[in-house]
Amino acid sequence: MIAVLDIAVSILIAVLLLGGAFWMLTAALSMFHARDSLSRINVLSPATGLGLPMIVMGAFLEHARVDGFDPALLLKSVVTVLALIIVSSVASNVLARAAYLSGSPVDPRTAPQDLARAPGEGEQVPHSDDR
Amino acid sequence: MSVILWVTVALLGAAILVGLFRVATAPDAASRAVVGDLVFFSGVGLIVLVGLLKASAAAVDAALIASVLGILATVALARILTRGRR
Repeated sequence: MIAVLDIAVSILIAVLLLGGAFWMLTAALSMFHARDSLSRINVLSPATGLGLPMIVMGAFLEHARVDGFDPALLLKSVVTVLALIIVSSVASNVLARAAYLSGSPVDPRTAPQDLARAPGEGEQVPHSDDR
Repeated sequence: MSVILWVTVALLGAAILVGLFRVATAPDAASRAVVGDLVFFSGVGLIVLVGLLKASAAAVDAALIASVLGILATVALARILTRGRR
């Protein structure tokens, strides 16, 4: 029974680690396909919001499998995952705003572009031709 | 298990190399900042994996600090991009 559980946990760890690294590599390769910096900021999200938390949880499970369960390590891992999700969301929001304000070219179909016009200038409809 | 750890290290290293190449060929400064962020987070993943390979729990603390304070680098880059405007 213990041996079966050990194999199951090992497979779970392998899936978490390899899957997380796969997301990071996919995000890095997708940086070549995104056409403007706003799309690249979007492409970053799966790496920091899914890939790295998977790696951290897989590392926690491996530590627990080798050395036994440690509540402090669980607390650190959970705080790391929460920090990654919250921090990367806030950081990409700040970076996207700065990227737009710095005048880097955006895809011409980007709509609405509220930062480019004065308040109360009228509503912009989101682009819907190429669905 | 060691094979899986090394394959993960190889994938993360490939992500870092691809990211550095993209930093060199990026068309504008904002893209460089974003891809630099990706390289940073891949480095955090590498720290976690080195902690597994060396069986050291201190790497978990390093990853915790890096993920909490990682926003500082991004916000600083954002301020540089807009020349100090918010």
